[in-house]
Amino acid sequence: MGSAHSVPAEMRELADRTGFTSEQIEHLHRRFKQLSRDQLTIRKENFDSIPDLEFNPIRGKIVHAFFDRRNLRPQADGLADEINFEDFLTIMSYFRPIEMDMDEEQLDRFRKDKLRFLFHMYDSDHDGKITLQEYRNVVEELLSGNPHLEKDSARSIADGAMMEAASICVGQMMWQGIDIETKMHVRFLNMETIAHCY
Amino acid sequence: VVNLLGISITVLFTLLLVFIIVPAIFGVSFGIRKVYMKTLLKIFQWATLRIERGAKEKNHPLYKPYVNGIIAKEPTSLEQEIKEMRRSGSGRALDAPEFELSDIFYFCRKGIETIMDDEVTKRFSAEELESWNLLSRTNYNFQYISLRLTVLWGLGVLIRYCFLLPLRIALAFTGISLLVTGTTVVGYLPNGRCKEFLSKHVHLMCYRICVRALTAIITYHDRGNRPRNGGICVANHTSPIDVIILASDGYYAMVGQIHGGLMGVIQRAMVKACPHVWFERSEVKDRHLVAKRLTEHVQDKSKLPILIFPEGTCINNTSVMMFKKGSFEIGATVYPVAIKYDPQFGDAFWNSSKYGMVTYLLRMMTSWAIVCSVWYLPPMTRQPEEDAVQFANRVKSAIARQGGLVDLLWDGGLKREKVKDTFKEEQQKLYSKMIVGN
Repeated sequence: MGSAHSVPAEMRELADRTGFTSEQIEHLHRRFKQLSRDQLTIRKENFDSIPDLEFNPIRGKIVHAFFDRRNLRPQADGLADEINFEDFLTIMSYFRPIEMDMDEEQLDRFRKDKLRFLFHMYDSDHDGKITLQEYRNVVEELLSGNPHLEKDSARSIADGAMMEAASICVGQMMWQGIDIETKMHVRFLNMETIAHCY
Repeated sequence: VVNLLGISITVLFTLLLVFIIVPAIFGVSFGIRKVYMKTLLKIFQWATLRIERGAKEKNHPLYKPYVNGIIAKEPTSLEQEIKEMRRSGSGRALDAPEFELSDIFYFCRKGIETIMDDEVTKRFSAEELESWNLLSRTNYNFQYISLRLTVLWGLGVLIRYCFLLPLRIALAFTGISLLVTGTTVVGYLPNGRCKEFLSKHVHLMCYRICVRALTAIITYHDRGNRPRNGGICVANHTSPIDVIILASDGYYAMVGQIHGGLMGVIQRAMVKACPHVWFERSEVKDRHLVAKRLTEHVQDKSKLPILIFPEGTCINNTSVMMFKKGSFEIGATVYPVAIKYDPQFGDAFWNSSKYGMVTYLLRMMTSWAIVCSVWYLPPMTRQPEEDAVQFANRVKSAIARQGGLVDLLWDGGLKREKVKDTFKEEQQKLYSKMIVGN
């Protein structure tokens, strides 16, 4: 029997909090059930069943981000073993596109949330700072598949970029001038315009 | 009165059986199944309209399965995206071979996109329908059903389980027992034209009865391209029923592993009448032995065309996955066949991780019908400059194109295993080339 409607009343609340429409939530719920194999929670192993994800060099960091408690709730920390659908939606909501009716304050908060998500991806020891070593780790993950690139070259590239950024501001990292709102979102297709023929 | 009722039902039943089996023996069809199909379609359309009306009245959004995916994926390449990001960001020179903090955005977004919706995982669960076919197993909007619709559904259940199911089981039983006894009897005859003739007709007759046991309504296209002796017939694989569908229209030599139980009995009987290629469990692992036996079979022009399903596993009939190259190395003419099921009447896909064989067969026999189209494609041979893998991919594309299926590079084995690391390395190489140069 169809079970797509197991999130009716909470749907309203979820929609308000994460900003997805109820239709999008429904689609994501089906996707969640597919990934979790009809269980209520997802573990890291469930992401192994997505072959296209294997193409991604920072796959490990992306999956890790789902279980990073700092992304799930404000002021939380540590790693979760498994996440439920609400947590899944929370992570997905970092990739929502901006809406036309957002005011300055909302836009600012939006931008900060996305930046914080990326910051957490770099900051793997959860100490609130990105050290040179953590920076190097990310660069190595992105570059390591090239057999002609020696380990030292990857290191020096990371160091060079880090020095440059550090010279702009000492201590913690800042991103400047990057149009993060449009580069870090996933667009849902417009469902209504799909024609159905019988 | 009860006696009379019992007798009349039995007589009716037997008459029906005869009515169905006799045409099967001679390979004729009265076209009843086509009329049945048309009537059902009309009823389904009505049912779907009622659901939509019901949902509109209650002002709820209906769940609409969207087969092309739910997100818009940008078709731009890695290089383009990173260049764009750099341009809008620090305004630095684009050819400067350096790493930027923002480069990670691209990979992050791509990763989340695939988590939301990817091409492969959805191939391993049954296809979703756009109109309801009165089977509760395919309905996702179950609460919008009015009284009239429920009555109709109830009627459908009654017909399917109390009338169609026993009829089909009786037919299947007849078909299988005739196959086993028929082939055993034919096996005692001396080799010669008579034996071949009888064997062919026994096989065809029994497969036709099985086709009727599933109420399979099959449309064959381009029958002139049917496989000939000394060739290999390859087809896409959706369910064990594929064998019955193809074998009821042509006389093939089957290839497979010997099983125990009922399957084993059938297999041993069949091989007495005509040379099928059965392997013991231990022999299956030995690729050279398999290839040798197949080559020997194919080179003997008096032997029948071999039937093989190169995907190696059942796919849900929306795409064709990687073909295993073994059958394409043998060097025989390949006759591709595309099979496309219409999921409106009953989903033929066998999700072996969800249902066992018996549950699956029961589901098949309690569906309305199995409707499919079979296209016989023109024969293909391996060109001198191709290797087996390229040849396999060429055949696969032809089958996918004809059947209207998506042609995927991925291996059907992904149903059960993980992807190899080589794919991740490809992207890493691409990105590092950009940063460092060649």
